[in-house]
Parts: sequence; C-alpha cells; structure tokens
Amino acid sequence: MICSRALRAVVVRVCALGALLLCGQAATADNLVGSDEGKFLLTAGFNDLDGAGGGGLVPLAFISGYGSSDSWGANAHFTDIQLKDFQLRAFGVAVGALDRVEVSYTRHEFDVTGTALDGLGVSQDIVGVKVKLLGNAVYGQDSWLPQLAVGAEYHKNEGIDNAAAVGLAGVVSPKQLGATSDHGTDYYIAATKIFLAQSIVVNAVLRATKANEFGLLGFGGDLKNTYSYKPEGTVAYLLTRHLAVGSEVRTRPHNLAVDDETTAYDVFLGWAPTKNLSLVAAYLNIGGVLGPATGVNRHQDGPYISIQAGF
Amino acid sequence: MSSLLKTVMGCLLLAAAASAAAQEMNKGGPTTLYDRIGGESKLRATMHEFVLIMESDDRINFTFANTDLKKFEQLLFEQLCNITGGGCKYTGRDMYTAHAKLNINNAEFNALAEDLYEAFDREHVPYRLQNKVVALLAPMQRDVVKDHLVPQDSPPKPK
Repeated sequence: MICSRALRAVVVRVCALGALLLCGQAATADNLVGSDEGKFLLTAGFNDLDGAGGGGLVPLAFISGYGSSDSWGANAHFTDIQLKDFQLRAFGVAVGALDRVEVSYTRHEFDVTGTALDGLGVSQDIVGVKVKLLGNAVYGQDSWLPQLAVGAEYHKNEGIDNAAAVGLAGVVSPKQLGATSDHGTDYYIAATKIFLAQSIVVNAVLRATKANEFGLLGFGGDLKNTYSYKPEGTVAYLLTRHLAVGSEVRTRPHNLAVDDETTAYDVFLGWAPTKNLSLVAAYLNIGGVLGPATGVNRHQDGPYISIQAGF
Repeated sequence: MSSLLKTVMGCLLLAAAASAAAQEMNKGGPTTLYDRIGGESKLRATMHEFVLIMESDDRINFTFANTDLKKFEQLLFEQLCNITGGGCKYTGRDMYTAHAKLNINNAEFNALAEDLYEAFDREHVPYRLQNKVVALLAPMQRDVVKDHLVPQDSPPKPK
C-alpha cells in the first residue's frame, strides 16, 4: 500500500509538472494551428479500452495523436467487444499535445446478453491524463532506456439500469453489489521500448487500482478495499509499416465476492493504413464475470473490434 | 488432440527449427547488413530513389534548395554503406555540423525516415531489414534535430 500511495503521489506531481512543461514548450512551438502529423505510423492512432493511447487492454508510453513534439493531434475511437454473455461498447476521444501530454475521455456501455441477468446494463465515464516523462521509444535505439510515461484515469460509474427486469428491483448502483464506491482513480506508469532492429515492441505497465471489472462494477469491495498494484504488458511484432501483431496481458484485483475477476488477455492485429485511420481486431478473454452471482462460471471471451480516426 | 500427436508435432517443429539453424550456420559466418540488403547495386539504387522521393516531398524538400543532389546521393550511399558494414569511408560532414543551420524538427526528421522506408519498398528490400537500417539511423536524431532555433549566422558547434 505504501507503494501505491507513493505511485499516486508521483503521478499527481508529474502531471502538474507536465502542465508546466507544456506551457513552456507551447511558447516556442510554431506548428500549433494544424497538426504536422509528424510521428511514425503505429506510434499513435490507437486508444486502449480506457481511452489512453495504447493497445486494446494496456496503455503505452506513447502520446495520442500524430502531432510531433512541435504540434498536436487527436484521436477518436469506437470499440465493440462481444463476450459470451456480455457486450461492451466504448467510445471516446483523446488529444495529445507536443508529444508530451495526453487528455482523454471515454464512455463505456456494458450490457449483459446472457445468463439470468440478461438485459442488465451498466455505464461509466473515464477521464484520463498521461504525461511522457523521458526517453524516446523510436530514437533511443542505441540506449536501454525505454520511453516512460505516467497517467491517471478517473472513472465515474453511472449506475445500473434495468435491474428490476432481472429480479433485482431497487439495484441501481454497483455499491449494492458489494463495491465500496461508484468512482475511483487508477494511476499507472508505462515503459515502452521499440527494438527496431528486431521489429519488436515491448511494453510494461504497473497500475495502482481499486477498479472492479475496469470500474463497471465499481471500486473496492467486500473482499478488498485498498489499492492493488497490478502489472500489465504488451508484446508486438511489426509485420509491415502499417501492420503489427501482438498480445497483451492485464492482471486485475479481485475485490468483490459476487465477481470472479481475474487476468484479462488478448491477441491482436493493429492496422494503420494511413495516419488518419487505425483498426484493431483482437480476440479477448477476461475470464469469469459475476460467476458467483449468476452461477455461470465460463470464461468470457470473444472478438474485440476497434475503429479509430484522427490526426 | 492426443498427447502422442502433440509429441510428434513438437518433434517435427524442433527438427525443422534445428535444420533451419544448421542451414544458417552453413552459409559460412555472419554476413553484414550491407550484404543482406543486396550490396552496392541495391543500396545505390535505393539512394537514387530516396533522393527522388525527398526532392518531391514538400515536407522536407526546402532543405535541399541549395544542395548538389548528385553529391548528396553519393554521400548518402557512403554513409549507409559505412553504418551497415559495407566498409565504405563516409567523406561528408558529421551530422551535427551538416544540419547546424537547417533548423530541422522532429516531424521533418521523421518525414525523411518515411521517405527512406518508401525508397527501400520501391527496391523490394524486406521490411525487417529496413528496420535494421533505420535502427542505426534513428539515434542521429539527437544531432540532426535542434531543440532550439539556431541563428543562421551561428558558427557550428566545435566537436
């Protein structure tokens, strides 16, 4: 817990520092009217499930948008995930400035499509900020130093809909399922390294979180109500300048007795035909969801499709 | 799948990997990246394409307004031959001095790299080899891109 508190303190201070750096850099930048789209393909243009610049499940140390260190960029995404008994739609927008700071907003709309809870819905809003600290994943090919960034994601759960239809009349909040809060903030540090000579991208993330199922079931719970310190990772192989294949793993806390939350992972194809359009096709497995409550203990897996447009 | 079938398939995969590794070793020592790209003729053809692409690239062609492009192409060949192990001597200026007055920014540096990828594509050099070349060039960003505007009459930084 000391670790996660320290991580949070670092992230908050660095975000403040990032805002100061941004002001200083903006004063000297001369390409702020339009985006220069000056980054390499595949190093921007993708947002993860929570809206941060990254892949499907895991953020990268890259800043969203193709604007270089003298410019800015933005990216909008629409993501559709069809699991065996659940569907998650996510959509949002991320803006990156001076290849230094990223701000994102994403909305999740989660629907139960199977089990006894068929018809139940949950939604949440996520506001994220990320600051690149040091290193450059592209230029630092002669260095062991990865590109490092820290971020924070504030989640606000907007409540449960249609509970009466599945015999849970009066249930309107994940707090009634055992969560301690309907809002929470994740803090993370991401280290991304491109081994260009090997055409490989490696990314490691450490996240301090209280979120249950990405925040869809609230924050903290009857089993645990303190921050957990969870590792995540990405490995990708660059097939062409436009196409990468890879896998992601995101370990997650287990705070709720009614849920059987476990590690989520995926395999993905990321395709960027241009700097204005990116597509992700993945196969996602997030393990059991609400198994103890529904009696349906099977793994929830299925296709993850995301379309992203930006500059 | 039966465990016997899995074992047999595993053995076949191992055998295939071992035979591929043996073939690699039989080629007689490690070859240079220069040779793997296709040697002098391929690199010269690529540099010719590279200069043509840069010349028509409005993002960066203003930096070549006063450049002797024939000489520039020769220097590019020498430099890439040198860093890929082809044994050439690079007779141009160092990267910091050569770009001292150009005020190149990151977007322009990256645009040049994109043009190099395009030139390699046109010469059908495999993408994974293109990445090996760009991996050698990428750290030059620190000498090429200035983090501040350099006055046009400032003397080059002493090396």
